Amino acid sequence: MTTNRPHVIDVKHLTVSYQAKPALLDVSVQIGSDQLVGVIGPNGAGKSTFIKAVLGFVKPDLGTVLINGKSAQKAKGEVAYVPQRGAVDWDFPITVKEVALMGRYQQIPWYSTPGSEDRDAAFAALEMVRMKDFAERQIGELSGGQQQRVFLARALAQGSDILLLDEPFAGVDAATERAILDVLERAKNNGKTLVVVHHDLSTAAEYFDKLMLIKQRMYAFGTPERVLNEELLSNVYEGRLRIFSDIIKKGNS
Amino acid sequence: MMYELFIAPLTETYFQKALIGGSIVAIVAGVVGCLVVLKRMAFLGDALSHAMIAGVAGGYLVMKLLFGAEAHAPGMLLGSLIAAIATVALISFVSRISRVKEDTAIGIMYTGIFALGVVVVSIFRHYIHIDLMHFIMGDILGVADSDLWVSAFVAATVLTILILFFRHFQLATFDPIMAASIGLPVLLIDYVLTTCVSLVVVSAVSMVGVILVVGLLITPAATAYLLCDRLDRMMWLAAFFGVTSVVGGLYLCVWLDSAGGGAIMLFCTLQFLVVLAVAPKYGLLARWLRLRNLVPQQVIEDILTTILRYKKTTPLAVVQQYVHSGKDITKALQRMTQEGLIIGNDDGYNLTKDGEKEANKVLRAHHLWEAYLEKIGTPEEQLHPTAHRLEHISDQKTVDYLDEKLATLEQDPRGQAVP
Repeated sequence: MTTNRPHVIDVKHLTVSYQAKPALLDVSVQIGSDQLVGVIGPNGAGKSTFIKAVLGFVKPDLGTVLINGKSAQKAKGEVAYVPQRGAVDWDFPITVKEVALMGRYQQIPWYSTPGSEDRDAAFAALEMVRMKDFAERQIGELSGGQQQRVFLARALAQGSDILLLDEPFAGVDAATERAILDVLERAKNNGKTLVVVHHDLSTAAEYFDKLMLIKQRMYAFGTPERVLNEELLSNVYEGRLRIFSDIIKKGNS
Repeated sequence: MMYELFIAPLTETYFQKALIGGSIVAIVAGVVGCLVVLKRMAFLGDALSHAMIAGVAGGYLVMKLLFGAEAHAPGMLLGSLIAAIATVALISFVSRISRVKEDTAIGIMYTGIFALGVVVVSIFRHYIHIDLMHFIMGDILGVADSDLWVSAFVAATVLTILILFFRHFQLATFDPIMAASIGLPVLLIDYVLTTCVSLVVVSAVSMVGVILVVGLLITPAATAYLLCDRLDRMMWLAAFFGVTSVVGGLYLCVWLDSAGGGAIMLFCTLQFLVVLAVAPKYGLLARWLRLRNLVPQQVIEDILTTILRYKKTTPLAVVQQYVHSGKDITKALQRMTQEGLIIGNDDGYNLTKDGEKEANKVLRAHHLWEAYLEKIGTPEEQLHPTAHRLEHISDQKTVDYLDEKLATLEQDPRGQAVP
């Protein structure tokens, strides 16, 4: 990234705690535009908390999160979000179309109802993730990958330049994973910045431009070759070393 | 006869008032109830209604001792609203600061405050003329005009709020994190909803009583939930089921000469059970039919391989000979024809291209399993039957694994190349 545009996400000394236990400790990172960034780290490393802090949903104990130069609390709607699968009530009485339409809610004044413009935008977003044919389905009737794509459509309909995704690849098969990645890459090529929580180290190098390795603290941020280094990983994942040798080889090739 | 049963009650003033008052309350309770059901806070409605008695007693006492007003309705209403909101605050306080989880905190607080109300009412029984029984059971057949006005006012207010801010409630219920990220005041929305629930509960208690009010809140909403895939429709339908409960229940109560509130909730529950049984998508009957129509994958695969091995148009008799599954076969053949796996004519069945592909997949799994079994030393006479059972485990990962494991082995035990 050699552009001199300001960083779209600028996190400084971010510290978040839950009942005196730090979920994030002194995390600083600057993410430029047009990037696909993976957030990796073991379970309970604070990956989801990081996403929520960038969204402005959890209040930091210390530190600042700037979105396009504005504080996260003020930059409402400039960041779109795709929730973790487990965080959604799939029995909720809502159709695919309505979920996509939610992406437009911020633009609709409270006294008004969604207009044809909003509907068009929602459909365009569904088209982008190839889910238009399922518009009238209830969200629980879809497969895991389709569900991910619907929420991706909602994020796209928001029109935000920054997309945060919490484990979009969890529990989908390989073909679906490809399809989702495809949408992410197209979004990136359209100038979006994507920050993706990811749990699978073996694909991390292949999928992302940059990786961010966290476990409460920030351990590394940079290109996959730099981050997927044996010493760092064994440090963070505590000695489950053997499985990493493959990954690192992959990362270097 | 029909006149006696249906029209005569309608000419009675008490029946008209009960019908109007009950319907108003049921509509708004049904609509709010949808959010209560989806947010899984049904127990909260219960807590609020029980807490009310302390509020009513408090309001009564304050108005009487300070202003000398007897049974001042707005005073009691305000008192119960304060008690309801205090209960909610106490519940969230206790569950946040202590180890006690929310459901337990609700149980503790509402029984505690209910008990406080009962004790206060009985201590001050010479000042307060509240009929505890009326409070607990409600008295829809004795609805006073003031009750009607209160419920109409509450319904208008709550429905206006819910209609105006429908999208806000929908998003905050469905995905609070996204709601917050686009700047909706999620916490405020929660408080507004709780206040709405309290208002509805307060206005409904005089009709159906403390114990049954939660039923009016959640049962019509849950009934609608079984029939809808959209929140707005669910709200309409919940309001409708609320009204039918009141109408049906009131007739039941007149015909059987029973308690009004009880009859309404009984009708409401029966209505739920009927819908639970016959709902087209989420009902028990539909579920049972789906399960019954389910053809085991194993039968489908056995039919595919049978036709593949027979190599020409396969008569039904041959299929029945090789596939041991009795009455499932006809159903399976129908299903497979629909899905384009096989084509049937008078002489028997042929595989389509898709069917052939599927059949080859299973056959390949069969051969791989057979080869694997031989390698791990399975006795020869068990090779085929065991492989026949295992061939249904034919997902890509398993097949790849077997393939890799057998990489050195070029031929399967029968000497045919593994396809």
